[in-house]
Amino acid sequence: MKIALFIPCLVNQLMPDVAVATLELLEKLGHEVIFPKGQTCCGQPMTNSGCYNEARNTTMKLLNSFKGVECDAIVCPAASCLVAAKENFHEFDDSPEAEAVIAKLYELTEFLHDVAPIPAFSKAFPHRISLQMSCHGVRMLGLASGSEFMGKPFNKVEAILAKIPGIEIRYPERKDECCGFGGTFAMDEGAVSAKMGKDKAWFHANTGAEYVVGYDPSCMMHLDGMIRRQQLPVQTRHVAQIINAAL
Amino acid sequence: MSHSSSATHAQQAEIFCRDESRVDWHSKALWLMREKRDRAAGSIPEWEQLRQLGSEIKLHTLTNLADLLQQFEANCQANGIQVHWARDGKEHNQIVHEILARHQVKKLVKSKSMLTEECHMNPYLEERGIEVIDTDLGERIIQLAGQPPSHIVVPAIHMKKEEVGDLFHEKIGTEAGASDPTYLTRAARQHLREQFLSADAAMTGVNMAVADKGAVVVCTNEGNADMGVNLPAVQLHSMGIDKIVPNLDSAAVLLRMLARNATGQPVTTYSSMYRGPKAGGEMHVIIVDNGRTAMLQDKILAESLKCIRCGGCLNTCPVYRRSGGHSYSYTIPGPIGIAVGGSKDDTNSIPWACTLCASCSGVCPTKVPLDKIIHHHRRLKAEAGQLPYGKANYMPLVGKLMGSQTAFNCSMSMARGALKILPGSLLKPFAGAWGKYRELPVAPKSSFEHWYKNNRSE
Ligand code: SF4
Repeated sequence: MKIALFIPCLVNQLMPDVAVATLELLEKLGHEVIFPKGQTCCGQPMTNSGCYNEARNTTMKLLNSFKGVECDAIVCPAASCLVAAKENFHEFDDSPEAEAVIAKLYELTEFLHDVAPIPAFSKAFPHRISLQMSCHGVRMLGLASGSEFMGKPFNKVEAILAKIPGIEIRYPERKDECCGFGGTFAMDEGAVSAKMGKDKAWFHANTGAEYVVGYDPSCMMHLDGMIRRQQLPVQTRHVAQIINAAL
Repeated sequence: MSHSSSATHAQQAEIFCRDESRVDWHSKALWLMREKRDRAAGSIPEWEQLRQLGSEIKLHTLTNLADLLQQFEANCQANGIQVHWARDGKEHNQIVHEILARHQVKKLVKSKSMLTEECHMNPYLEERGIEVIDTDLGERIIQLAGQPPSHIVVPAIHMKKEEVGDLFHEKIGTEAGASDPTYLTRAARQHLREQFLSADAAMTGVNMAVADKGAVVVCTNEGNADMGVNLPAVQLHSMGIDKIVPNLDSAAVLLRMLARNATGQPVTTYSSMYRGPKAGGEMHVIIVDNGRTAMLQDKILAESLKCIRCGGCLNTCPVYRRSGGHSYSYTIPGPIGIAVGGSKDDTNSIPWACTLCASCSGVCPTKVPLDKIIHHHRRLKAEAGQLPYGKANYMPLVGKLMGSQTAFNCSMSMARGALKILPGSLLKPFAGAWGKYRELPVAPKSSFEHWYKNNRSE
């Protein structure tokens, strides 16, 4: 397939390794990958604070960078940004061109589970990981059923990773409780955000895992900062990095 | 622990968070309730269908509210119940006072009513010489302590048993230093029994008002509502207009979920239906609007009126558990408190006491879209020029910066550089609160864009 990468601003600037891993793994799977120019922030920091007017320009700029781009799918390695982009594109533009872009938007694990599954992993990843089931991926994107849900449980992220030879998957206590990042929440409500992050960091470390693995870079950045402040013996990785290492 | 109207949620929460072991204790006590809820809900195979049904029943009710309320009134009157309508809290209090004054009531026993908290009824009646005794154990505890409730189902959850022991020693004469829950509960029961026997009137809240029966349903675990209502001649029941359900079948659907979602019990110990005055007595129902009709005008806010006050959203809320019920400016704390109190929040901060994790919406038995409502409150506040935490100043700048890709990337690469040397960098996310509690991100050598140009571009 021909895939256009959607690399959110945070990943582009602060976690380029995640973007590189995403690109490499998609190439290894035989896809043609392009990176449309002109991408910027999806507007989430503004719209999450209720500031829609302030978000319009940046959202539209991001949307325009994908309009008319020839591809089968637009793939993003950040669940929360993807949800916000979808919602904000809808909010500011109801043209057929915008609809065409929205219809092609996928979060990376969603894409690898629903659209183009990985046939087989060629390398082992003989490590214990603790999965960070971030909120927007679970409760808005449906990457997994939330712990509140009493229907038939599912977990697309686990389903993908479980196929990697040698991997051992664990979950922290209070499996999908929010890590406390919450965008500007981390600054507005510093004390509560930090306490949530600290609890989450310890719950992950208590699994004895070597890596905390997640699909939401902003949560991972917050957790990484907490883990290092608490000096816990565990490191953070993005799912793309684990998958890429096993291909 | 008192409400301070000017302090933001973040300021109150910061104070609560200073005692970390207390935060852990509070968070765990409530999480335990969430786990009990999970077990109780999980034991019902059709739980998710029930939620859907519950949501539809409430939506149907809200859509036909005027008709159902009139039907309820007519059926109540046919049952000999006197129905009163109150536009707001003040009118509610006046109506209650008038009824009590007419019967020369000196002491009122009360049970389970967040609505009377919302209307600030206790001080109103006390100023007029009527003693009000809250009879739920938790409510009595906070009343004796002179505090507002910190939770809608377990209002004294913020107090440790030792603190309750000290309070009871001082107020009702239990032994000094005694903190055994059974001993304290027994003492409270004894103390309350005297109150029940000497009360001239009783009042309860309403869990459901059944339109086609003209009756109200009241749920408690201690039987105190029944004890109160069955003794004196005069009984009063206060309800918000949102408490209506069309019939007993609908009430049954909600009852199956209410206690399970609240405390993990299959049903409350007492679920009583009152459908008329006792012989020689009077039964009054006071129906209160107090801003609910206004909420109904906004399609998103309207859904908060689907709430059945189980408290499940508080128990699961990671922010509520770590900031305590008294950190919210509104009487009702937690997600539902933000939803129904967001417009009345003069600190302009409670809609931001939330990470939008949406666990609350997933827990809610009537599918109140709490995270959407909270997000909507932020938008309403922004439109009204009531943004907290300096957002009005920095958001337009961030918007402009990010809208202009060159300026944005330029400042981001400066920030990347700055991360290596200055903690208080240009980039808002990494200033202040970030570095206070966390390590700063490790700055990468270059952006992905830059890497791509060097490694993939033709
Ligand atoms: S909003 Fe839902 S979960 Fe929260 S108290 Fe109301 S019914 Fe319960």
